[in-house]
Amino acid sequence: MTPRLKAVPLRRSGVKEKILHIDRLSKGFHTANGYVSVLDNVRFQAEGGELIAILGRSGCGKSTLLKIVGGFIPPGSGKVLLNGSPVRSPGPDRCVIFQEDALFPWLTVQENIAFGLRGQKQDKRSKAHQVERFLGLVGLSEFRDYLPRALSGGMKQRVALARVLILQPQVLLMDEPFASLDAQSREEMQNLLLSLWQELGHTILFVTHDVSEAVILADRILLMDKSPGRIREEIGLNLLRPRERESGALLDFSRRLHQALRD
Amino acid sequence: MKPMDERNRKGAWALLPWAIPCTFLFSWCMVSAAGLVPRYLLPDPLHIAGTGYSYIFGTPEAGPYAGRFLNDAGASLLRVGCGFALAVAIGLPLGILSGRLWVFQRLMGTTVNALRAVPGITWLPLALVWFGIGMKTTVFLVALAAFFPIFLNAAAGARQVNPLLLQAGAMMGVRRLRGTFAILLPGAMPNLMTGLRLGLGISWAYLVLGELTGVPNGLGAVIMDARMLGRIDMIVVGIIVIAIIGRVSDQLLQSGMKFCFKSAGRMA
Ligand SMILES: Nc1ncnc2c1ncn2[C@@H]1O[C@H](COP(=O)(O)OP(=O)(O)OP(=O)(O)O)[C@@H](O)[C@H]1O
Ligand SMILES: [Mg+2]
Repeated sequence: MTPRLKAVPLRRSGVKEKILHIDRLSKGFHTANGYVSVLDNVRFQAEGGELIAILGRSGCGKSTLLKIVGGFIPPGSGKVLLNGSPVRSPGPDRCVIFQEDALFPWLTVQENIAFGLRGQKQDKRSKAHQVERFLGLVGLSEFRDYLPRALSGGMKQRVALARVLILQPQVLLMDEPFASLDAQSREEMQNLLLSLWQELGHTILFVTHDVSEAVILADRILLMDKSPGRIREEIGLNLLRPRERESGALLDFSRRLHQALRD
Repeated sequence: MKPMDERNRKGAWALLPWAIPCTFLFSWCMVSAAGLVPRYLLPDPLHIAGTGYSYIFGTPEAGPYAGRFLNDAGASLLRVGCGFALAVAIGLPLGILSGRLWVFQRLMGTTVNALRAVPGITWLPLALVWFGIGMKTTVFLVALAAFFPIFLNAAAGARQVNPLLLQAGAMMGVRRLRGTFAILLPGAMPNLMTGLRLGLGISWAYLVLGELTGVPNGLGAVIMDARMLGRIDMIVVGIIVIAIIGRVSDQLLQSGMKFCFKSAGRMA
């Protein structure tokens, strides 16, 4: 028997609009071993400004889900609606932070951050101003002229954050963005992400297989089952922010999530 | 890559590239001075230097080859330039298309690889029939020979561009055309550079081939002419001149690309 996790109802100030609807999403692939169902009837909604963690074991389809929401691959069935209109292709309203390094290696930190503004009709001054602001927000002003190959993993992910946040996406999709960092830098990046989120107020879908990461970040955790991937449980984390990493409530949650992941 | 760049410019290391030419020149002097090789097979360096000087700076009255350098080099550069430009104009876009789009890959792969198996020199008789002796034949041969390395490297480069970069571009709102110039070309730049450099190098080889057929001017023509007159010193001068111009043009190509494209300087 699966021990049920107690779902805590969300308590947020005011009534938030649901902006992202994931509706009965299924996806499978044809492989050498025949058809494999990866996602099965996944459905959830996200409010504006909500931080949702998607927690599941390796191979349960987290990345696939994120790619569908990002518009990189089409859903098998079901649909993704952003503000009521279906998602068909990638776009700056839903930006992705990839797990691997996806910075442009021929551009400096500053140029990488400015990349997305190139096509926009704004005068140079205001673009430069924005780049400056986001360089500052991720704490990389001194490294503006570095090429990506001269940066550490954590710094690369900061640039990746800045270059999409500057486009003011409504939804930020993050696929285990800090998984390859050491514990110390991971904590730093989590804190940075939280402060950016509080300042900019975008919605975040954060994929992770790390329970403590989900617990420190999320308003709500979607626990995923493996083969086929479906959402087993929704857990609201009605905890005050800033959260203490070592606090009893968090450890309690962590322990129960660990347990749930194990079965 | 960085330490290599830095070392390139530092003190004694700057002399390293000259070590082989200098050693060679020195041995040549010794061999000539000792009279080990008859002069009609290999003239001594001073003699060569004299011929070279008169070829470049002499006045026409001074001898058959005196003062012809500018004329010859100009003619050759024009032929290489036209042929190479043609190869780039055709090979680069087609290569990128075939690297990215399955249809083009299927369409051109077999043909290009079959044609590539034909040694360039085989085209010479046909080219002579089609275009006659001179500019057109040479340009044709140069363009044909330079096309393959440019095409193949562009295709490989375009194919290997990290798909994550293209995805990142797509999500940041970069459309296809702009993505081609903002992401695809820079991403493929190391391969594009390789293709261009190989293409330019082979251009010089085929230039000489085209000019051996009896055109009145050009560096290859001078060498052939000198052979018939038994002026071995002039042959050697021709070889050295081509080596130098080839090296300089490669350097110019690289600096030019680095000047024009950030990616050429930062990823090589
Ligand atoms: N293009 C594809 N073709 C075939 N199978 C695929 C494809 N993409 C994903 N899969 C399969 O779908 C399953 C889920 O993959 P996915 O990458 O979404 O997992 P994940 O939850 O992100 O895992 P991880 O935590 O290791 O990143 C895997 O079993 C994988 O083999
Ligand atoms: Mg994954």
